[in-house]
Amino acid sequence: MTHPVPESRLVTPDLHCAHLRHKGMYVLSTPDPGEAAHAGRWDATAYWCTRTQKASGPDGNAANAACCVAGNGRNCCH
Amino acid sequence: MKPFAYVKAANEHQALAALTRERGKVLPLAGGMDLVSLLKDHIAEPDRVVSVKGLDATITAADGGLRIGAATRLVDLHQHAVVSAQYKALAEAAAEVGTPQIRNLGTVGGNLLQRPRCWYYRNEEFACLKKGGARCFSVDGENQFHAILGGGPCHIVHPSSLAVPLIAFNAALRIVGPRGEKQVPVEEFFELPDRNLYGETMLRPDELVTHVILPPARAARSATYEVRFKQSHDWPIAFASVALQMQGSTVAEARVVLGAVAPIPWRSPAAEAVLKGQTMSDALAVKAAEAALADASPMSHNAYKVQVARTAVKRALLQAAAATA
Amino acid sequence: MADETARAEAEGQVAEVAAPATANPNSPYAWPKESRLLSTRVNRIDGTLKVAGKAKYSYDMQRPGMLYARILRSPHPHARVVSVDLGPARAMRGVKAALTIVQPGAKVMYVGDEVAAVAATSEDIARDAIRAITVRYEVLPFLATVEQALRPEAPAVFEGGNVKESQVEEEGNLQAGFAAAAHIVEQAYNTQVQTHVSLETHGCVCEWDGDKLTAWASTQAVHGTREGFATSLEIPQANVRVITEHMGGGFGSKFGPDVQGVTCAKLAREAKAPVHLLLDRREEHLASGNRPSAYARIKAGVSADGMLTAFDGETWGTGGAGAASGFPLPYIYAFPNRRRVHKDVYINAGQQRAMRAPGHPQGCFITEMLMDELADRVKMDPIEFRIRNLPPQAPNAMWREYFKIGAQRFGWDKRHATGDQAPGPIKRGMGCAANRWGGGGRGTQAQCEILPDGGVVMRCGTQDLGVGTRTLMAIITAETLGLPVSAIKVELGDSNLPFSGGSGGSTTAPAVSPAIRVTASKALQELAGRVAPALGVPADQITASDGRVHVKGDPSRGLSWADACRRLQTTPISVNGQWEAGLSASGTSGVQFAEVEVDVETGVAKVSRILCVQDCGLVVNQLAAESQCIGAMIMGVGYALYEDRILDRNTATMVNPNMEWYLVPGMSDVPAIDIMLMNQPERGVIGIGEPPTISTAAAIANAVANAIGVRVRSIPITPQKVLAALDGERAGGTL
Ligand SMILES: Cc1cc2nc3c(=O)[nH]c(=O)nc-3n(C[C@@H](O)[C@@H](O)[C@H](O)COP(=O)(O)OP(=O)(O)OC[C@H]3O[C@@H](n4cnc5c(N)ncnc54)[C@H](O)[C@@H]3O)c2cc1C
Ligand code: SF4
Repeated sequence: MTHPVPESRLVTPDLHCAHLRHKGMYVLSTPDPGEAAHAGRWDATAYWCTRTQKASGPDGNAANAACCVAGNGRNCCH
Repeated sequence: MKPFAYVKAANEHQALAALTRERGKVLPLAGGMDLVSLLKDHIAEPDRVVSVKGLDATITAADGGLRIGAATRLVDLHQHAVVSAQYKALAEAAAEVGTPQIRNLGTVGGNLLQRPRCWYYRNEEFACLKKGGARCFSVDGENQFHAILGGGPCHIVHPSSLAVPLIAFNAALRIVGPRGEKQVPVEEFFELPDRNLYGETMLRPDELVTHVILPPARAARSATYEVRFKQSHDWPIAFASVALQMQGSTVAEARVVLGAVAPIPWRSPAAEAVLKGQTMSDALAVKAAEAALADASPMSHNAYKVQVARTAVKRALLQAAAATA
Repeated sequence: MADETARAEAEGQVAEVAAPATANPNSPYAWPKESRLLSTRVNRIDGTLKVAGKAKYSYDMQRPGMLYARILRSPHPHARVVSVDLGPARAMRGVKAALTIVQPGAKVMYVGDEVAAVAATSEDIARDAIRAITVRYEVLPFLATVEQALRPEAPAVFEGGNVKESQVEEEGNLQAGFAAAAHIVEQAYNTQVQTHVSLETHGCVCEWDGDKLTAWASTQAVHGTREGFATSLEIPQANVRVITEHMGGGFGSKFGPDVQGVTCAKLAREAKAPVHLLLDRREEHLASGNRPSAYARIKAGVSADGMLTAFDGETWGTGGAGAASGFPLPYIYAFPNRRRVHKDVYINAGQQRAMRAPGHPQGCFITEMLMDELADRVKMDPIEFRIRNLPPQAPNAMWREYFKIGAQRFGWDKRHATGDQAPGPIKRGMGCAANRWGGGGRGTQAQCEILPDGGVVMRCGTQDLGVGTRTLMAIITAETLGLPVSAIKVELGDSNLPFSGGSGGSTTAPAVSPAIRVTASKALQELAGRVAPALGVPADQITASDGRVHVKGDPSRGLSWADACRRLQTTPISVNGQWEAGLSASGTSGVQFAEVEVDVETGVAKVSRILCVQDCGLVVNQLAAESQCIGAMIMGVGYALYEDRILDRNTATMVNPNMEWYLVPGMSDVPAIDIMLMNQPERGVIGIGEPPTISTAAAIANAVANAIGVRVRSIPITPQKVLAALDGERAGGTL
């Protein structure tokens, strides 16, 4: 059996902090190419940090795909 | 909620004995539809709560009118045969209060004595004027449901659906206290915030309302018209109760009272004067409605209520005139 | 269909076909061509439990010695916590545990942000105890509204700026597009912040047994919440079990333990007792998510013959403190030349979370209002105008057809031109709008047992949010095994069960249904193998129907289900299976119509009826799919007319954190609802949880404009806004 894997476009194990989460990481979907063609580049992703379970990290700053990346100088980053 | 002692009073006498003169320390509990939420939200923090469910809960004929016990439930009021036949404006108002659950537990006394619904008042975080704070948050805040008449320094609107038609019928309240009993016209019972900031009525903390005394209906044609946004579980944006003495199609005498527009039920002598001696028509109703709101001074976000209130007056008048006596 | 696609491709347009848009008819597990239960109306198997009040929600969990916890929340929209003294709370009788959530030095970002928590022997004591905690705050400048945050002189509240500008999206040539336009519309639109208002609030009951944690949580993802508990508490995931037996809604806001869940577990650990921590309604409004607001300033062009030529949009919105607010725009319709810039505006308010079709209702409202304005300019019927400008038809893009059949069913031909001319204050009008959604799922695993006494158990670690997933599993199992629905025992809502993803994005039905079909089919094959010797045919010649296991095509040659199972003697059949491609798809489309009555003397709008024409591939349970549509449309009515998170502009404190002033439709506000569910059995299962809520508000708003002849370009459409719009028109404004 092939095991399901999440496909988050937004959070990757290599680049992002291991504690960064968003809903899409828990939902296994199959894309609709029609939707993709029309969607544009809008972003409504609500992120949270799984350490704090809040939308901000242990350092109090926002948790999101732009901030929670390696080399961003955040020492809460894993 | 703050812990309190609970006293169950079997009758008027016991209830009175359990009250004190100090404001807010001892509070009567009737249906609890209002008081319980005040307790839970720390808006009211009495040391003692006195159940007054044991007060008179009957509606009896008296002096050609009706005597309604304070503990009468709203559902029993609006389903009462005489009330719904002769005091339509009152029956209509009672039938519209809140939801069936609220009408099944809420009482006449509790309805008249309920505290304002201003959302700053009801949320503990806002230490507003009425709660002894320094400012009225509604003035430069979210005042879309606040007063357009008679406001200042507090801008609440009067919440009771019953008080408005009761004034239209020129009803009185029987009040008992350590100094004996008295009767006060409902119209004189409520007080504007510039006179009484911390309460809304003349009732002292050691007094109780025990009865509503309705004078004879004298074949008045009456109606209450409420403008509600949501049809269920919502408060009227504005409403009006009117009682008309008609001679043929001529208005011999009119009483016009508005609710949810001012800190007290707002009687409009101006509208009544417009109506007196005139033949009822759409145009007359419009003119009376305009007179009723002529002095309105809306706040930053509630000018629309003027139009809503005008419509309520107009429609209440037309509905009453079309009704059977 | 093939012709349509070919034509579209020939015209150089992208066909909308999703792969796999069609289920694989050759799959060994293909859905039956003639079904007994699928697509019929099946009552919820847990319906009686629910109406009898016997269904136990997480909120209802009672454990021996259970404590109740409450959370102390910030009264300030922005402040640094200087100190937290739990001492007075701990000293109270009945208080068994207390903890600080925000460490001194850290900041709270909105009113309702979590600060500390207490567990006590009763909820009342816990409530009193959090009030006894003393917190010193250093109050900081804050932003209460989008307007305040956008002011140049606004204080810098958020690290990296109060406003985050997105990239510009651009396609085609705007200048040429506007040059080709015969009419140009320039307008501003806006939508409010809506909260989820799940009837069951967020939270859980946590109980430790040594180093093992069990959490009865109200969650849309039992497995995801297990992972969240473990990483947050730094304990092995294998030591955590999350159970969600019944659930009262989540709408996208319940994907992890959240602060309250982890707090609950920590308090339970400290108190060495089970702890109940579920939020109250105020906390729900303040801190458990919302749909971001949207603002748009748009310039759009249309040619004389009613073709869209250009779209230039500047948009912004707030998702609260530091959260995004994006939405798709323009929505669905094809503007050949377009540009769009979006700004996320941060204010000191609770953060947004995914909410039923994130982004889509906002994009739909703005675009569909604009479409009606453009149609008015070219004096064209709104439906004809839409059909001209829709993307080509495809299985996941059926709007052209749906608009036509919907119009007929709704009586669209009776729609008057903009502005009801009828006498009297009550004006009637009609409006319409379209929607699209993905709704494809995958990855679910399941286990099926057939027991020697004939019993059947289907297990899957998905969760039933209240939508009927439990019943869906029973229907598919029963259909596959030829048994009645009542013969199937379903187990779900437990992280100890085989893995299934979180229930979001309308993925549950398309992820779960194939897994159940595959697993039940495999179990049946296994049973066939055991009875084959008795029937004297190879196992692959055996099937089950009508409570019998028999030779294919000859029900008389076989055994009753009970007799067949008896041959298992002492060993049950137990098989695992999983989702496979070819039984589900992605990509739905739908349209909605609304009729409203607006009282122009009071400004009160009331929706009298709504029709939704919606597909979701193969309909598993007609009744449950319809009930998704009904709930979604009622939510849409709330979005259109009533719901609004109102923050006091001076204190950033919500003035209506309850259900008294945060208005949700009540029974008497619900219109007559008509549903045309377009079954597409050839596509396999697609989700339907989200799409039917997308277009409701847009259709209603267009109907209001059609009724009163003036546009209210902002939802909710309150009496205040209706009267202001009418006044504006009287003062000489234009439509
Ligand atoms: C969602 C909602 C909608 C509502 N809608 C409406 C509406 O449309 N119109 C309307 O009028 N009301 C409305 N109400 C208010 C409702 O609480 C009252 O109508 C109800 O009648 C209160 O009666 P009660 O007996 O429950 O009062 P209680 O809550 O028991 O008492 C209310 C107050 O009166 C005092 N009191 C009670 N009895 C006496 C007495 N005999 N003498 C002196 N003081 C006394 C109490 O101390 C308390 O302060 C609504 C309430 C809710 C929650
Ligand atoms: S209107 Fe009255 S009750 Fe409301 S905020 Fe002002 S002072 Fe307080």
